[in-house]
Amino acid sequence: MNLVLYSGGDEKENQDLDRAFIELLAKKNPVVTFIPSSSYLSEQEFKSFVRHYSKFKITRFIHFPIDVPFDNIIFNEVMRSDAIHLAGGNTFYFLNSLRKTKLLPQLKAFAQKGGLLTGLSAGAIMMTENIEMAGYPEFDRDENIVNIKNLAALNLVDFLFFPHFRNSSRYDVVFKKYTRTSNKIIYACPDGAGIVVRGNEIRFVGKCYAFSGGHKFIIN
Amino acid sequence: MNQIKKCHTDEVGKRSYTNFAHLNGEHPFKKLVPGGRVEYKARYRKGGKVAFFNFDLAKEMGLIAKTHPHTLTPDLEKEILETFSLTIINEYDVINKVKFPEEDIFPNTFMATRYLQLQHPDKMGRTSGDGRTIWNGTVRHNGTTWDVSSCGTGGTKLSPACNINKKFYQTGDPSISYGCGLSEVAEGLETLFFSEVLGKNGFKTERVLAILEFDKGIGINVRANPNLIRPSHFFGHLKQGNLETLKQVSDYYISRQSENKAWEQTSFKSDKEKYFYMANQVARALAETAAKFEDEYIFCWLDWDGDNILMDGGIIDYGSIRQFGLFHAEYRYDDVQRFSTTILEQRQKARYMVQCFVQIADFLSTKKKRSLSHFKNHPIMQSFDKHFVDCKNRNLLQKIGFKKNHVEHLLKNHISKVTKFRKVFSYFERAKSKRGAYKVPDGINRDALFCMRDILRELPQLYLARNTNLSCQEFTEIIKSSYARKSDLKLTNLRKKQINRFQSQYFSLIATLEKDLDLSKGQQLLELTMRASVINKYDRVTGDSITYIVQKVQKLRPKLACHELFELSQQFTVYQNLNPDQKVVAHQAPERHKNIMQNFHSIVRECREGL
Repeated sequence: MNLVLYSGGDEKENQDLDRAFIELLAKKNPVVTFIPSSSYLSEQEFKSFVRHYSKFKITRFIHFPIDVPFDNIIFNEVMRSDAIHLAGGNTFYFLNSLRKTKLLPQLKAFAQKGGLLTGLSAGAIMMTENIEMAGYPEFDRDENIVNIKNLAALNLVDFLFFPHFRNSSRYDVVFKKYTRTSNKIIYACPDGAGIVVRGNEIRFVGKCYAFSGGHKFIIN
Repeated sequence: MNQIKKCHTDEVGKRSYTNFAHLNGEHPFKKLVPGGRVEYKARYRKGGKVAFFNFDLAKEMGLIAKTHPHTLTPDLEKEILETFSLTIINEYDVINKVKFPEEDIFPNTFMATRYLQLQHPDKMGRTSGDGRTIWNGTVRHNGTTWDVSSCGTGGTKLSPACNINKKFYQTGDPSISYGCGLSEVAEGLETLFFSEVLGKNGFKTERVLAILEFDKGIGINVRANPNLIRPSHFFGHLKQGNLETLKQVSDYYISRQSENKAWEQTSFKSDKEKYFYMANQVARALAETAAKFEDEYIFCWLDWDGDNILMDGGIIDYGSIRQFGLFHAEYRYDDVQRFSTTILEQRQKARYMVQCFVQIADFLSTKKKRSLSHFKNHPIMQSFDKHFVDCKNRNLLQKIGFKKNHVEHLLKNHISKVTKFRKVFSYFERAKSKRGAYKVPDGINRDALFCMRDILRELPQLYLARNTNLSCQEFTEIIKSSYARKSDLKLTNLRKKQINRFQSQYFSLIATLEKDLDLSKGQQLLELTMRASVINKYDRVTGDSITYIVQKVQKLRPKLACHELFELSQQFTVYQNLNPDQKVVAHQAPERHKNIMQNFHSIVRECREGL
């Protein structure tokens, strides 16, 4: 499986992750699909995405909003693309749309068959077992605007991912508390940092933090 | 009620709301076109609240300072109410000697203008005009003079009810609806949401400055535009052969256009040159508007009276305005006594209006009124026809997503290719359901089958990804609308030919630019993918969606403050801005607004193919 989990940040901050993305893509003239978390103004996000990745000589992109109906023609092309990027936004809304359109198993199959799946913030959280991290901690969370109860996501990795992490005691307290009762490990990444999964290998890019068993660890 | 303004301040010590003082009933039209208006005394109307205020427009008009926060301060609210909360003292009040406290009566009169309206039995414009509207006045700011008028300020003698029933009505008389002189807050909200969206998308339109609210959903809707004169303001006097007033209206209108620098030419060697220049300007504006209405599926009920439209083709009176999701070219609104025109008939109505303006120019120059048919083949009419077709071609290339310079290149050098593509595009756009015409809640319609926005949005990215044409089945799958039945979608030989033609001609435009301008096909398709995704976005507002959104807003309104309604209208406009060149910045909206906006999105999505 090939995955890239971006936390957030600007082009400059994400240079190393982008390099990893291009290495994993390893194809001439690839097709990259952009899936926004919501169609609201997603055309603008798509534009920025295209402008950014055009710098890596990628020229073929598909814009695929999923909270508006789509036809099988475009869907089949998406599933044939070389990489799919899950964008940031409201994680609850995004998951709800993915579930409504029955895309979760399709995306999982895409990744398991070797397609490159990347995600930023909400999109990265989506690759984990569930999106609990989107509602956590209380002082820095997405609003569950769609009131979904089933938070199960793609479950492609065996850790939880927390994007936009700020290294402060406020976060430390809540994440330590969380991992004291959970057997899950949380990888918390500040903007510009992230995780690259290549087959069974996992690589951290930038300064990342891990919370496990009530303790905090610094990675890199 | 004292109209001498106290100086409320919007920035302590720096600037006051003094510009509101110009909106006191005084208007140059009153003096310059005495035969074109009726004057009314007015009284302050108590119990009003400001439901909406357009802070951005007020800044553009110089009514509030640029730095004014988007908050309705007590002083600003007072100023708005003191300026706009009024009811005219009409003929009924005078005849019945209805008494009003002296201090509530405004010192100046307010005018209602005369214009032709087809629903009046007279059909000559002698009795018709503003039936429930008065003009508040003008404000000038940054080189532009703005007209401001208010709808719902009482029944005038120019209303259809007065003339059909031959009696004067008391304002608010419950025995009649439209003629009672009042307006509803919902009408103002419809105009607000629609006009802000259309305005942002390049339509000329009236705009809502404020909505005042009274008991039982009654409101006063204040609108503004740099020139609120309509063709119908001329046509009544033309029909009557009233040269003097027709000349006054024309001179008044031309002088405002010059004052606002709306026209390139501002000085003229002769009257003849001046009036024919005006006719030419109207021809260009109405050709552009008629083409844009057709291409953006705007139903405006253009008709021979020249009502419902401003002289520059701007939209006024949103009561009958609709934007269809598909090209429902046979929809007719049922107005009880008559059916409206269809979208396709609007061109002929616009053409008729232009012909009237040629007749006006000739009448004013020669002082002889020749028959309208005499001008059927006047060069201005030919210029209207040509400009209409030019605009249709330009509109289509823009809808595909081509950049401005590429559009111009294709129009200038490869018009036959553009025309060919437009022909095949129209084949699909105008395809109609086998079901035939049927009754819809407010009229009749025959469904369109295909959603052209969908194919223009998806085609470039599918080509980009696959580098092959779509099969006929795939093409149909993408373009079909929810109105299409199985029998409508049968792949006949003709349909197959047209699908192939559509794709080959689409590609031929791209290949032409590749050859002429050295732009790679991939580069172009990527650019088209990005631009078409904005221009042809899945969710585009329709008339039905605006109606439902306004119903939603009405339910929420008791808890929506004036500034919140303003913010929502702005957010909605940003979401519906289909200009691919505009840098869109999403508003940082509070959580509550996000939920409301989600609701609006669902409504727009739900109604996207409808009327």
